[in-house]
Amino acid sequence: MSMDALQLMSGHVQLTASSNAPSSIRDSRGSWEDQDALSSKLQETSARRSRKVEGGVFFPKPENAVTVAVSSRVLFRTDREQKVYEQKGIEEYLSYQIQHENKPFAPGPAFSFVKALEAVNGRLRALYPQSEELFDLVLVTYNHAHVGVRLINTINHHNLFIERFCMTGGSSPIGYLKAWHTNLYLSADADKVREALAEGIAAATMFMPEKLTEVSETQLRVAFDGDAVLFSDESERIFKTHGLDKFFEHEKENEDTLLDHGPLKGFLEALGKLQKKFYAKGQRLDCPIRTFLVTARSAASSGIRALKTLRAWGLEIDEALFLAGAPKGPMLEKIRPHIYFDDQMFHIEGAAQMGTIAAHVPYGIAQTHQNKQK
Amino acid sequence: MTASICAASDTRKNAEHTVVVAITSHSVFESRDGDDVFGAGLAFPLLQALQRVNEQLLEGNPDESLLFDVVLVTTDRKQQQQRSLIMSSTTHHGLDVSRFCFSCEEDFVESLQTNAVDLFLSTDRKELLQASEQGVVSALLETHSASPPLEQLRILFCGDFLIQPDAGLKLAGAQSAKGFLSRLGEVRRRFSVQDSPLSITVLTSRGGRESCGSAICVLRSFGINADEAYCLAGAPRAPILNVLQPHFIFMSFDG
Repeated sequence: MSMDALQLMSGHVQLTASSNAPSSIRDSRGSWEDQDALSSKLQETSARRSRKVEGGVFFPKPENAVTVAVSSRVLFRTDREQKVYEQKGIEEYLSYQIQHENKPFAPGPAFSFVKALEAVNGRLRALYPQSEELFDLVLVTYNHAHVGVRLINTINHHNLFIERFCMTGGSSPIGYLKAWHTNLYLSADADKVREALAEGIAAATMFMPEKLTEVSETQLRVAFDGDAVLFSDESERIFKTHGLDKFFEHEKENEDTLLDHGPLKGFLEALGKLQKKFYAKGQRLDCPIRTFLVTARSAASSGIRALKTLRAWGLEIDEALFLAGAPKGPMLEKIRPHIYFDDQMFHIEGAAQMGTIAAHVPYGIAQTHQNKQK
Repeated sequence: MTASICAASDTRKNAEHTVVVAITSHSVFESRDGDDVFGAGLAFPLLQALQRVNEQLLEGNPDESLLFDVVLVTTDRKQQQQRSLIMSSTTHHGLDVSRFCFSCEEDFVESLQTNAVDLFLSTDRKELLQASEQGVVSALLETHSASPPLEQLRILFCGDFLIQPDAGLKLAGAQSAKGFLSRLGEVRRRFSVQDSPLSITVLTSRGGRESCGSAICVLRSFGINADEAYCLAGAPRAPILNVLQPHFIFMSFDG
């Protein structure tokens, strides 16, 4: 079969090249100019069968790595395509995608988070070239494989290191999330996120804010709400049903009782493990991972229980901000996290207004009280 | 050597346009001691899925001629001599089989060729290697699935079937593969993107995203738009296959 036979039914198909000159991580790759390069490209691919590439591990076993699964709608901006899907149906949507196959998508809300994960990986590989304890990125999308070529072209265009993906063509991604030992799943679809949470996988819904404040390119900064995110929603239940006074009373009485864990505790734990690897090499001050607790609890009272719980879990959090009910937006704007996890849409919207990328964790009692403010 | 004998059943289809799928009897049936018919074997869910596709094709067009045409083939002497048992078991289970080929190890590939078989399915890799080396498009029957069988016919193409790095772009038995793939693509296009009774998946185990991308493109060049695509880049296959639950898998059988 000749190379010329590589044709779409409706036009010529070509995978487009990475836009930049190869960096040291990508030396084995080269660019994909035309179809004559196809066979030499494929030879390079087979040379990568051995998992260890010079300078570190690039294809860790999923169970050893911190696997972050992102959907195409949060990694990239696909608003126009979403509209086509919603207004004209799936066949139109797919043919639109194929027609625009060589047009890369713009970055979406999870893009800078993914870039930051790659930066951390670079630092980890430099210190521990044999280790598989890295971030492993997997694109997990409901999209059909028809859209696959456009997604691959886009990943090439932005020079992202995403080599693993699942395009499930409409089937539920949950089974695949489990098969990949997923530590965190980010999606634009709240139903899928809820499904993942129900299966014990940390997950959050992401939204594209109107404006985006600049975030660090060298340090991964992750911020968490406390109740119903790191911790269970037990205290929030008290507050919602009995009010603030009862909440304070309950927290004081139970100060020495540990809070139960919430859906994102495991992810904080995974981040902590990676942080310790930097500390072990004397890089505490220069650590490329920084974690934040941003809670409505007060430092002097209800916050104590939160801190005691974290300490008992052996989890260090770099900065704990107790807002005592003050709005979170301005504080988050100062912190500039790559992602902020909260269970209440009110806070998510507040964060987005100030340009912070926030991810909603649809867990706990707050989901039935969306309009109440804390 | 006993010459292979082929027998037609009553449900023979219009030969011209069909996709002839030959399945080994040892994967369709299971011996049951003390029974005068064979029991349902590992390939039963596949046969049911093929039948369902045919039913829906006919629902869409009662004069449809592009249908799956199932042939049962024996590949060893023992089964070759159980002709009547195989035929009566087929009737007993109400299977939609149009022909039987009673061959043995030495001549089953020949009988696949003379019967213009488009696709050969077996659980035995040696048989598959033999057949594919002689230009018969072959795929491995997947039978390990523990959960209840899916209604949808699920077909999996592995990257190493579509792209062979050492030999450039080459498919096993390129000409016959080309014909089969374009007919399979035609069958798939009879149905819409969603709620199709068959689904076609691409999976690459090694290499990065570009190798999966080129596998998707190779299938497209043969007229098949894959429904699903998985790029493992070295991650273990088994957990993913357990979720995917393909009925049969196109792969490289050598090495």
